[in-house]
Amino acid sequence: MSNDFSQFQEAFFEEAGDHLAIVEEGLLALEQHPDDLDLLNKIFRSAHSIKGTSGMFGFNAVAQFTHKMETLLDLLRNGQKVVTLEIADLLLKSTDCLKTLIDAAKTGSPVDGDTVQRLTVELATASNTKVEASAPPSTPLPLTPNLSRCFHIAWTPPEWLFQRGLDPLQIFKELANLGTLSQVAVDTSKLPELVAMDPEKCYLAWTMKLETVKDRQVVDAVFEFVREDSKLVIEERESLSVKREAPESGRECEAFESGTKTASRETSAVDGAEPKPLGEILVESGIVSRETLDHALAQQKRVGQILIEQHAATPQQVEQALQKQKQQESASQSKKTDTASIRVDTAKIDKLINLVGELVITQSMLSDLGSRFEMSQISVLLERMAQLERNTREIQERVMGIRMLPIGTAFSRFPRLVRDLSAKAGKKIQLVLSGEETELDKTVIESIGDPLIHLVRNSADHGLEPPEERLDNNKPELGTIRLNAFHEGGNICITVEDDGRGLNRDKILAKAVKQGLIAENEKLSDDQIWPLIFKPGFSTAEKVTDVSGRGVGMDVVKRNIEGLGGTVSIKTALGKGTVFTLKLPLTLAIIEGMTVRVGKDTYIVPLLSILESIQPKAEVMKTVIGKGELINVRSTYLPMMRLYDVFCLQPEYTDPTKAILLILETEGERVAVMVDEILGQQQVVIKSMEQNFRKVAGVAGATILGDGTVGFILDVRGLLEMSRQSMLVAA
Amino acid sequence: MIKTALIVDDSPTMRQMVAFTLTNAGFNVLEAEDGKDAVTKVAGGPKINIVVTDLNMPKMDGISLIKELRKMAAFKFTPILMLTTESAADKKQAGKDAGATGWIVKPFNPEVMLKIIAKILPA
Repeated sequence: MSNDFSQFQEAFFEEAGDHLAIVEEGLLALEQHPDDLDLLNKIFRSAHSIKGTSGMFGFNAVAQFTHKMETLLDLLRNGQKVVTLEIADLLLKSTDCLKTLIDAAKTGSPVDGDTVQRLTVELATASNTKVEASAPPSTPLPLTPNLSRCFHIAWTPPEWLFQRGLDPLQIFKELANLGTLSQVAVDTSKLPELVAMDPEKCYLAWTMKLETVKDRQVVDAVFEFVREDSKLVIEERESLSVKREAPESGRECEAFESGTKTASRETSAVDGAEPKPLGEILVESGIVSRETLDHALAQQKRVGQILIEQHAATPQQVEQALQKQKQQESASQSKKTDTASIRVDTAKIDKLINLVGELVITQSMLSDLGSRFEMSQISVLLERMAQLERNTREIQERVMGIRMLPIGTAFSRFPRLVRDLSAKAGKKIQLVLSGEETELDKTVIESIGDPLIHLVRNSADHGLEPPEERLDNNKPELGTIRLNAFHEGGNICITVEDDGRGLNRDKILAKAVKQGLIAENEKLSDDQIWPLIFKPGFSTAEKVTDVSGRGVGMDVVKRNIEGLGGTVSIKTALGKGTVFTLKLPLTLAIIEGMTVRVGKDTYIVPLLSILESIQPKAEVMKTVIGKGELINVRSTYLPMMRLYDVFCLQPEYTDPTKAILLILETEGERVAVMVDEILGQQQVVIKSMEQNFRKVAGVAGATILGDGTVGFILDVRGLLEMSRQSMLVAA
Repeated sequence: MIKTALIVDDSPTMRQMVAFTLTNAGFNVLEAEDGKDAVTKVAGGPKINIVVTDLNMPKMDGISLIKELRKMAAFKFTPILMLTTESAADKKQAGKDAGATGWIVKPFNPEVMLKIIAKILPA
């Protein structure tokens, strides 16, 4: 039964994510408005929610850590502590730590135990509470022999018993369930005259005798909700065990609570908590000291090492096996995170259901028309068809809309990031967000997080100048980074803008020459120079800082964005600032494609990767030994691939001068692909090859064309790989 | 007769879990996301046999909700259970003063929850 809740885990992680965002956002805002009680309450509630819910799933590390945060937050909101910069900082760090703990609960990723411990201590210190070394396990209830015991109970409930929804009858029933209830006597001495009696009050008191095999605690627990407010004496008599005192008021609910604790311990045991290691048990029972244990453990060898020493395996074999183990681990981890869910506004679903209703009506109208169709009704038929098309298109849009989330979720982490960056770099930076409500596909949102972080870091570190330099240049001391999102055509644009020093043409050129990316006397336009910063290993930063400047980043940004079918462009003005514009498709499920024909087959080329199409003259064609066929496009030689060769088709043309060459580009590399004819441009829905068939080299996916046949979508990246390999083979 | 339980919690996950536990035990459930929502939903709604409420909630917290409910004739004697964390001893007292019947300590086990409900809910 305790395992039943596991189905709600996914919901918990999502909710926890929301709460973490609220906490983080709230803490950042709190730095500006330390006295905002509403804000504190909001943060507290979110932390409290995480604590309460995580406990339900046995994520005790999360619950315990959040409890520490909550304690401090409670002091803050009660005004017993004041929000200082240190406290805000500590809470922010703790939020990060909590994030890793929750991730750990979700995917089993490792947790930095030292950080957790350090922050736990810091939180406790800040709250002036002592840290109890990981809560001692509650002692199990003493086992008692199944002896029949006899309890004499005298109970005088409070007068307002009924007004709290309590019913003495329930208590008698519960007692009767425990054993034999006898000698029940009611004391009516307190009962007033009928006229003076309030029917909502309880004037009665009882004495009774209970014979049961159950423990004292069980009997106590029956009175759990009333004990504190009642006069209650429970005496154990005529039994073999030692007579015990009546409970003191301070001990209320103890029995009950230890009952719950045992229950929750069982839960965690079911969830896979492991028994304690031998060493821990030995230390706990005082047989060995902690130091002796640590020393012994340090001498312990890993199994791989032992096998190598015994010459049972070579170091290489062990290394390979370890690699394999690592792969399996990461595979099983990625499997764990695979089940993603999405929360959808009910309004969106209602609208969808409404539309499906309309679709059904249109369909029935059409089938009605079809059953008694006459040629004179052709106009009606066309009208119905148009209606059907409208319904279908709208449903398509709405269904896509379900996957759409406001980009604000991806932006929300930046206030924190910029705050930390500005502290680290010693610069004053303000972040301005706009267009947070712009919606785009959930997968895209998840994938643009890292590239955006790189860009923002880059702006903070390289783009913006230190305060003194800004003042010298007549700029405000406070630098600004703007993040903006907006729709443009069928795409979404995200800009990362700073008002810093701008890109330095000469520096970039010098660096590019030094790295051999361009020739020294090459003449380049600005638009050719700026993209150089996306080359791997490129960095003009004079010093490598903690934040950026190690030359990793910008090339990764470009690769990631292009992997999503998007583009990155740069606009910059020296001394004024730089704007990076990311252009992304709204969704990954549909692409804008160019349909092309090879023989009788139709292929789709992603529109974004097509640079141009040409019909070459014979003199630009060259066959170079070891490089295959090349084509000279405006004095650049590109490899040429005949698509019919790649997929073994029967083409219409084998002569490139009669066919069409598409110049495709991805990640800065180009290839010319030969096809028979360009048919047109259309949106296609991508169907996965792996899920429906198997992976095919050079094919990114498939789609159903207008005439019902299957068309394959070319994988430009894959084609480039293939052309490179065929060169190697030819060589 | 099928009994109806009102579940008040701002955490949807927690609410779902309580609802799941009670639905499996044969209850009808009515869910509310905070005290205010609960007050709105019980007005003119079905007869509620038991209330399970969280304490920390936005808009109207659990304590205020209990006080509000106890003022209504329909809830004068209705069992009201509060969901508390073990640490909140002062909250427990405040809840009792407001008129709560009893409490369930989070994290709870479904069996324990049902046992407590059986304890206070007349058959």
